[in-house]
Formats: sequence, structure tokens, C-alpha cells
Amino acid sequence: MSRWLTEPVPRGRVAAFRTLIYLFVAADLVIFTPWVRTRAGVPGALYEPLLIGRVLPLPTPTPALVAVIFWALLLISLLAATGRAPRLLGWAVCALYLEWMIIAMSYGKVDHDRFGLLVALAVLPTAGRARHGDSTRTEAGGWALRVTQIAVICTYFLAAWAKLRFGGLDWLTGSVLARAIIRRGTDLADLIAQVPYLLIVAQFGIVAFELLTPVVFLLPARWRLAMVGFFYSFHLVTIATITISFAPHLAAMTSFLPLERVRPLVWARRLVGRSAPDPEGSALPNTESDPRGADTQAASAAGSGETAPAPAGTGAEGAVPGGQPSVTGRPAGP
Amino acid sequence: MENLTTRGRATRLGATALGLALLLVGTLWGADDDFPFGPFRMYATSNPPNEPAPDTRVEGVDSAGTVIDLGQDATGIRRAEIEGQQGRYAEDPALLREVADAYAERHPGAAELVEVRIVIRWHGIRAGRPTGRHTDETVVRWQAPR
Repeated sequence: MSRWLTEPVPRGRVAAFRTLIYLFVAADLVIFTPWVRTRAGVPGALYEPLLIGRVLPLPTPTPALVAVIFWALLLISLLAATGRAPRLLGWAVCALYLEWMIIAMSYGKVDHDRFGLLVALAVLPTAGRARHGDSTRTEAGGWALRVTQIAVICTYFLAAWAKLRFGGLDWLTGSVLARAIIRRGTDLADLIAQVPYLLIVAQFGIVAFELLTPVVFLLPARWRLAMVGFFYSFHLVTIATITISFAPHLAAMTSFLPLERVRPLVWARRLVGRSAPDPEGSALPNTESDPRGADTQAASAAGSGETAPAPAGTGAEGAVPGGQPSVTGRPAGP
Repeated sequence: MENLTTRGRATRLGATALGLALLLVGTLWGADDDFPFGPFRMYATSNPPNEPAPDTRVEGVDSAGTVIDLGQDATGIRRAEIEGQQGRYAEDPALLREVADAYAERHPGAAELVEVRIVIRWHGIRAGRPTGRHTDETVVRWQAPR
């Protein structure tokens, strides 16, 4: 069990996952859950702190507090995406994002789409330094990825459990999907809703799917990837029908993927190198073993477009536009 | 290969077990209040196959008599949050004044709201499918004192 929990992974995978998760945090602030910022204008009387906010005890959000956390989190998460000072910056992002989420969820509605992301943020600082492209295996990094995977699968499996706890077996034959479609369905969903019994069949399918997700840990590597692909397609359908994105969960789920093979900046540089006059073709081996830096810094610059302090002259700037979508695009949706 | 120390391994095992235990307890006995260890209860409530579905909205009336949609974009308050605190609003309709204030905060030049109400549109459902018919019900109403 302990072996499995800390099964070593290449450091390059940890580096890629780290960059992706911290870029996602920045993107979450401005793209995926921008409404948290509107807390600045919501009167304090509507603040109903969660247990964790009462125990700690955290202050009632004011416009100043919301603004300070927003900008600090944006800046630090982009810095953390470079892979520098993984412990210091990682813990800072973890604490600030948790407080950001407590603010978000303390006005009468708690979202359940980001347990995996919160776990990833809590364990990434413990994974230690990791360079992009480094194939050295690390147990600390392996544990960080493994517990993120467990959190992702728990989100599915325990969601089925919650359905049985709160809805009972009647959930299966009830009208929960019809209700979701009425409240936030797309035209596609309205079409699907016309088919007799299809929504009920889908309800059985959802619970079966959720209960079976732990099987992913028993499969051989190739089938495991296929199953994770199926998870992503499940969310694609959810987005297309009832417009629920679960973006933070999708970002955390990349912990299952061999991310070290995704090297957008290396690829972009290779492309640039091909068109540039470089008859020796000597740049490639160097970029592969490039000490951590240019790769990640430029990625962070791509994510921010303004704030990342990427040193000039790394030669990676030109590669940024080509590299960005592969890095930031993944968490946006399957 | 970078190996963990015995202590590093033990700490991680302990942290994993603790996290899983908290999550299990939260799922079995917890509530949303226990975030982030509460139950994953998104869409977990069961609705009978013929029960109408509520579609909640908040609207206001300004001093000119215009009805204004007070959705998330207008006030920064999400619909699910209105529903989550609906009991509080029903007990003390004056709390809807906070919604009017949130609107005023975001629309400094707009005419003042003289009424805010929570309206539920009940959509008919038969055998798990929408019927296309609906009725509106105002569940909470607050009027500015004149």
C-alpha cells in the first residue's frame, strides 16, 4: 500500500503538473470563477461563515480584503507556476486559495467541484523541486500525484454515496435531471429531454459510472488513460447539456496523465528552430536538458500576459503564443 | 531515483489516512458547512417524477415602476445563494434590502429600488420530463418604507 501510494514518477511530470495547476489557479480567478470578486460589493449581513471560517476565525470580507487576496493570489500563483521556491510559494498559494474559496462558499451555497484541486494545492509544496523534462523519478512527487488522483476519484465515488444518503434509491427514478435541464439546460438538453425515459436511464448510468470510477486504479496504464479520457468525455456532455463545467476538478484530473510528454515550449522552439537558419540543428539537445527556467517562466508569462517577471533574452518569448494553449488550455475543458 | 526517508513516508501515510478519514466522516455525517470535507451532494436530492421544478429568480421594481432582473450579474449574488438563504429571507424580508444595496453598489447611477422580491417559477414535470407549463409564485417580498 505504501509502495503504491508513493509510486515514483518522473520529476518532469511533477513540474508540468505544478505549472498547470498554478496557471489554473490564476485562470480560475479571472475566467472560471470570477464571481468571487463580486463579494467585495455584497453586504456583510449576507455572509454566513462556514465551520472552518468560524473556527479559524476569519474576518467578514470587505472590499479591501477581497482585493488584497485577489491580487496577491494572482501574482503568487503566476510566480509559483515557474516552479521556483516550490515550498514557500506553494504554501502561500494553498493558504490564499483556501481563504478565497471560504469567501466564495460563505454566502449560502457550497460548490463541490474542487476537492481535487484543493488537495493538489496542499500536496504540491511537499513534492520538492522539479525541473521540466527531468526524467529522474521521485517518490515525493509520486505521492503528490497519487493523492490528487485519489481525491478526484473520491469526488465521483462519494458523490454517488451522497446521492444515496440524501436522495435514497428514489434518486435513480426521480426527476433530478429534468429539474437541472429546466434550471440551466441548453438547447441540446431540451432535445434530449423529449426522449421518453432517457433521463431516467441517464440517472442510472451516472450512479453506475460514479460507483465504478475506483476501477481506474486497477487497470493497466493504457486502459487507465482510456478511462480517464472517458471521464473527460462525461464532463464534456455535462457542459453541453446542463452547462456545469467542473473546471477545477478537470484540472486536478490531469494528475493521471503523462504530462511530462507535453512540452509546448520545447515544441514551439523546435518549430522556430526549423524555420530559423540553424544548419547544425544543435539547439535541441540543449533545450531538452535546459535547466529549469526558460520553459516555465515563459509559460507563466503566457498565462499572465503582463505580470510575470520572466527575464528577457531567454529566447523563449517568441515561442509563447504557440506554447500557451497546450499549457493553459487543458484545464479549461476536455 | 529520489527516495523518501522513513519519516517522510510515515508522515505521508498518516496525512493520507487522516484526509480520507475526514472525507469519509464528512460524507457519512457531515454537511456543506464542513467544507472542504463535506459530502459531495451536488444534485444529490431526490425529486419525485411528477414534482414541479422550481426556477428561482430575484427581481426588483425601481422608482419608475420598471421591473429589473436582479441576477448574479446585477448584484454579485448567485441564484443558488438566494435559494440557500431563502429561509432567512422569508423570516426577515427586510434582509432583501441588502440585495437592493448590492445592486445600488454596482449601479451607482440607477434609479432606486422600491421593491425586491424572490419569485419561483414552477415548471411542470410528468414522468421525469418537462411539460412546458409553468406558474409563478412570489415567496418573499420587501417594499421600501415610504
